[in-house]
Amino acid sequence: MFLFGKRKRRPSSGGVEERTWRPAERLNEAAVNGDLERVVDQIREVLGENDDFTIRRFQVFGRYPAAMFFYPNMIDMTSLNSEILKPLMYGPPHAERLPEKGDELWDFILETTLYHSDVRSETLVAKVVSDVLRGQTAVVIEGVEKALLFGTRTIDKRSIDQPATEQVIRGPREGFIELLSTNISLIRYRLQTPDLRVKTMEIGRRSQSKVAICYMQGITNPELVEEITRRLELIDVDAILDSGYLEQYIEDNQMSPFPQVQYTERPDKVVANLLEGRVALIVDGSPLALVVPTVFSQFYQTVEDYTERFLMMSAIRWARLIALVFSLVFPSLYVAIISFNPELIPTEFAVAVAGGRAGVPFPAIVEVLVIEISMEVLREATIRLPQQVGGALSIVGVLVVGQAAVAAGFASPITVVIIALTTIGSFATPAYNAALALRLLRFPLIVLAGIFGLYGVMIGLILIANHLLSLKSFGVPYLSPLVPGSAKGMKDLFLRGPFWWMSTRPDFLYPSDKTRISERTVEELKEPPNNVMEPANMEKTGKGGGA
Amino acid sequence: MKSGLRVKKALLSAFAASFILLLTGCWDRLEIEERAVVLGISVDTAPPGAAKREGEISHTAEGFPVPDVHMIRVSVQIALPGKIPLGPGESGGGGKGSEQTVWVVGAEGHTVDDAIMNLQQQISGKLFFGHLRVIVVSEDIARRGMQNINDYFHRNPEVRRMAWMMICKGKAEKLMNAAPELERVPALYLMSTMDNAVKLGKFPENYVGMYWSNSAKQGQEGYLPYVELKKHQNIEVSGVAYFKDDKLEGMTKPFQVAAYMSIMGMNPAGYRGVVKIGGASDSVMVYATSRRSTIKVRMQDGEPIVNVSIFTEVNLEEKINDQITIKDSASLIQIEEQNKKSLQKETKALILEMQEKGADIFGFGEYVRAKKPGYWNARIGSKSKWQRAFKELRIEVEVDSKIRRIGMKAK
Amino acid sequence: MKQAKHITTVQVAAIMTSTIIGVGVLPIPLFAVRGAGSGAPLVTLLGAAVAFVGLFLITRLGMRFPDQSIVQYGEVVIGKWLSWIGSIGVIGFFAILTSLTAREFGEVVITSVLTKTPLEVTVIVMLLLAAISTRNDITTFAYIHLFYFPLLLGPALLIVALSLKNADLINLQPLWGNTHKGMLTNVLTIASLFQGSFIITSIIPAMREPRKAMTASVFGLVIAGGMYVTIVAATVGVFGSEETKNLLWPTLELAKATSLPANVLERLDAAFLAVWVTAVFTTLFSSYYLAVKELSKLFRLQDHKLFSFFLLPAVFSMAMVPYNILHMYETIQNVGRIGLFVTIAYPGLLLVVAILRKKRGEPSEKRSAG
Repeated sequence: MFLFGKRKRRPSSGGVEERTWRPAERLNEAAVNGDLERVVDQIREVLGENDDFTIRRFQVFGRYPAAMFFYPNMIDMTSLNSEILKPLMYGPPHAERLPEKGDELWDFILETTLYHSDVRSETLVAKVVSDVLRGQTAVVIEGVEKALLFGTRTIDKRSIDQPATEQVIRGPREGFIELLSTNISLIRYRLQTPDLRVKTMEIGRRSQSKVAICYMQGITNPELVEEITRRLELIDVDAILDSGYLEQYIEDNQMSPFPQVQYTERPDKVVANLLEGRVALIVDGSPLALVVPTVFSQFYQTVEDYTERFLMMSAIRWARLIALVFSLVFPSLYVAIISFNPELIPTEFAVAVAGGRAGVPFPAIVEVLVIEISMEVLREATIRLPQQVGGALSIVGVLVVGQAAVAAGFASPITVVIIALTTIGSFATPAYNAALALRLLRFPLIVLAGIFGLYGVMIGLILIANHLLSLKSFGVPYLSPLVPGSAKGMKDLFLRGPFWWMSTRPDFLYPSDKTRISERTVEELKEPPNNVMEPANMEKTGKGGGA
Repeated sequence: MKSGLRVKKALLSAFAASFILLLTGCWDRLEIEERAVVLGISVDTAPPGAAKREGEISHTAEGFPVPDVHMIRVSVQIALPGKIPLGPGESGGGGKGSEQTVWVVGAEGHTVDDAIMNLQQQISGKLFFGHLRVIVVSEDIARRGMQNINDYFHRNPEVRRMAWMMICKGKAEKLMNAAPELERVPALYLMSTMDNAVKLGKFPENYVGMYWSNSAKQGQEGYLPYVELKKHQNIEVSGVAYFKDDKLEGMTKPFQVAAYMSIMGMNPAGYRGVVKIGGASDSVMVYATSRRSTIKVRMQDGEPIVNVSIFTEVNLEEKINDQITIKDSASLIQIEEQNKKSLQKETKALILEMQEKGADIFGFGEYVRAKKPGYWNARIGSKSKWQRAFKELRIEVEVDSKIRRIGMKAK
Repeated sequence: MKQAKHITTVQVAAIMTSTIIGVGVLPIPLFAVRGAGSGAPLVTLLGAAVAFVGLFLITRLGMRFPDQSIVQYGEVVIGKWLSWIGSIGVIGFFAILTSLTAREFGEVVITSVLTKTPLEVTVIVMLLLAAISTRNDITTFAYIHLFYFPLLLGPALLIVALSLKNADLINLQPLWGNTHKGMLTNVLTIASLFQGSFIITSIIPAMREPRKAMTASVFGLVIAGGMYVTIVAATVGVFGSEETKNLLWPTLELAKATSLPANVLERLDAAFLAVWVTAVFTTLFSSYYLAVKELSKLFRLQDHKLFSFFLLPAVFSMAMVPYNILHMYETIQNVGRIGLFVTIAYPGLLLVVAILRKKRGEPSEKRSAG
């Protein structure tokens, strides 16, 4: 429990340059120098071992030998054939004369021949190789000192779906998919402003995963962006397969059970966070965007809190908070009261509980631990099972096993009730990773309750609270805005205040631009409403015509 | 690697911690069903010859250092966990008689602790007083002095201050064995009898903690409910048992509880009173709904005079016959006057009785102490002196009463 | 080490309050009624007033030397060797205070809830909890106090509110009490319960605006003092002064005599005690932190973490010195009254000498604000 350490940041050291070119290190500084055969040899040396790699030789305009390099599985063959290969071989019919070698040819191809818009030139062979690896098509022509690179990449993707883990009743129904470019487009169409900045970098020596850093220029604190970039640049690993990998490299304290980075698959959530002054990280190949810095309150807030009326959502937020606390302390409180302080509960109930427990051979702590663990097993099993069977199993697991356990005298009915409530409570927390942390911490609390009763539960809670208080996410205290107290932040902490209360962005993020709602709007909302359609008005002025 | 070391360190300390936890275990863990949950306790005098029968448990046969204390018998009512059904639906054990839901056992000893030790020797589960709701003390024990009983229950951290302590006519153990039909658990029936008496205005709220506080005060004496077991295993609240120091001094009649509560201005009011208007047959029953009283102390000739002014609001509840008619407010005034007179008589009588015994259960002494500290510090200053002074205290009683409603009948 | 300077005034007030309010709240009504019977609230108030003198001195000193704590400016004011003695006195006193607080709470827990658990275990658990937490820096220190602040006031005020219906004003009259035997000693005893306020000396160097230290400490003391007075008044109001004298921990007994409406919890003593762990923790945390931090300053160390566990065995063995609960309370009262010299006389001396020798710390603006 008290072993959560704090990781010291490694001092920043250079050594970032070069790294991106590593797969083609053997090529050193080799350039495309017009010698087609040499370039083909060099590229073949690096990529030729792969059976899915294709080198297509042809003659540009039937005259100049050229070679095309691509991975056929990663590109759009039709457009390659018709937009690139065909014009290059035929030449433009309207051309009066075909150009000579060198620059002239280059310009001609670029300006007159190609039907493809995404064309770049590249001189370094190494760079050509890495681009081909990413799904581009390279064309090298004898006598031209540059290679042509075409953006032909098409990767099969799934369609944009409802987010599976963060469903809402009211709110957009789009979720991120694996493809980075689609994800960025999902954000960009919600934020049609030049202030949305997207910086990309490649992380992973071998995976070369693209990571996009999104932030709002003029809102996000520039120092935050700088620090995130720095932390990302320090990552020198084999592969980043999912944003979850990235999360563990950039968080402040890896030993903590609490997540210090929020993930979401909802573009609207990302946009809302960007507008608060946070930074979003999107990894190619992962449908979950990361949002930093993260504070604890984010884990029990949902998108719906803001789309629905504030009074109802404040109440529902309270229900969620209670569920959160429930899932953490309920079983341990039960153990403490049953085994240590039965005088706390009403006499009638205490006697009844004693009756329920009379046949159970184990002490309450063992009973609770056993049922808790089997509950975790059940839960894990339900996740693994195919969806069609999952429902059936959970019914069998929960109803039948629970009932049978009571009937067999293995557990008392109250214990089953407590554990069931706890389990349901842990599902009410919107953020899976935070719920997971609390689920885990429940066990040490139960053990402490079994040793010291209520006193132990309190000791455990103090340890957890102290840990939370010492946690920071990019320097932002984890429990902000509760601690260090900010009266403004409280409006969106336990309650969801009406929008005009929250006319400024959260100040613990130190945004460059604080105002969110203009003063005029706030003033206007406070004015008495203008009753245009009031019957009295309409009838008096005779506008109420109608029929 | 630094982080590797950290993980090793963390694992090591986690291992050490769990090892320590395993070694130490849980000292105080005692499952609820392993405890003998005591719901009620009764304290009686032991039948003669108890000392001989006593096993040598907390002391040798001759060795008890308090020879002048008589032997007592302590009985406890223990809830039987399996027999009290969980939830309201199952009526398995609760149906007939409560003999099955609790177990009453008793033991004898020189003191309460001694007797409880003797009892514990005979019972497997640890006696647990956390749910002790009712302490019944027999009249003769109370007359002998409550010091030992008070001390034991005061010192024990498990005992609640919100338990009821009561003085019982005759054997207290009978109350433990009583099996009222209404409640599954007899001790809880006793408790709810008292709680409902409070709600109905039959008795002032007077938990054991309040009794202790009152007895401790210099200018006040404690009092407890006086109960009696009736034929149908039901319990009657039959007055206030008043104390002087820790010794039972006497009991009032049940109707005097009303007088006491009127003097103290305690609400809710619940007692009915009969008011004679003309002849013996012209009586009405009235029902006090709310009481108010102010107690003032003034000095006259260097002596304190306590002035009690009582105000009650009453409703008319019943007429004995039709000879009196109630048709205008004037007729009510007549009843009011009579009611005032009878209330004045009753309260005066109660105060006089208490003064005779020197038991200031009203706490007039506290008023003197609080309001006239100069006099108190110079002349009184201790409980025993106040007990003497109380006998001589001049007390004025003023009564006012108003009839507000007459029910649903018009005359 | 660059001192981070961002503790706000509100945080300082919270630190002061939660440091002062600790296990002392349990026996304070007893001390107070021993002083003057029904005049107990007045005794408490006087105790708070005496405590304020000490707090005023130490805060003035702190504002005079806004970048230093008592160990550091002691050297400047009265020279190295004399200040060594004073500093050792302060550090030693707070180490003893830590151990006695842990012991006292251990005793409460053993007596009322965990009757079979060895005393050593409860004491060591509390001390370990404090020791682990002292490894944090001063910002987290402030956060922790701020976080527990509502947990401190809430339950106590709840119990006071619930018990009000049983309270009787007569029990609190006359306001100045009937007898005044031993009033002075008990006023001093109560004043010694406020000694945690000395922590301000360690906080001022980390404050964002040391100029507001006085406001913060006054607020802290007023809240804590108000809370103590309220609790004493409620306890005496419910029990009467004579019954209060019969109770070792009247406040706990008050919790025992109240139940939540609708009988959700039938008695609150165990629950109150459980929540009260936080209050005791904050007190322990502060006094231990003070001892550790000042010790590291005395040896001019950058990092105070070294001492967190280094002091633990000494503090623990001191906690085990009193041989029974009454001896423990006698020790606590004696140590507390002696401690008043350390927390009032020593800073007083320093302040007088500093004014006479016109010593003053460099203005805090010179340092870059965190």
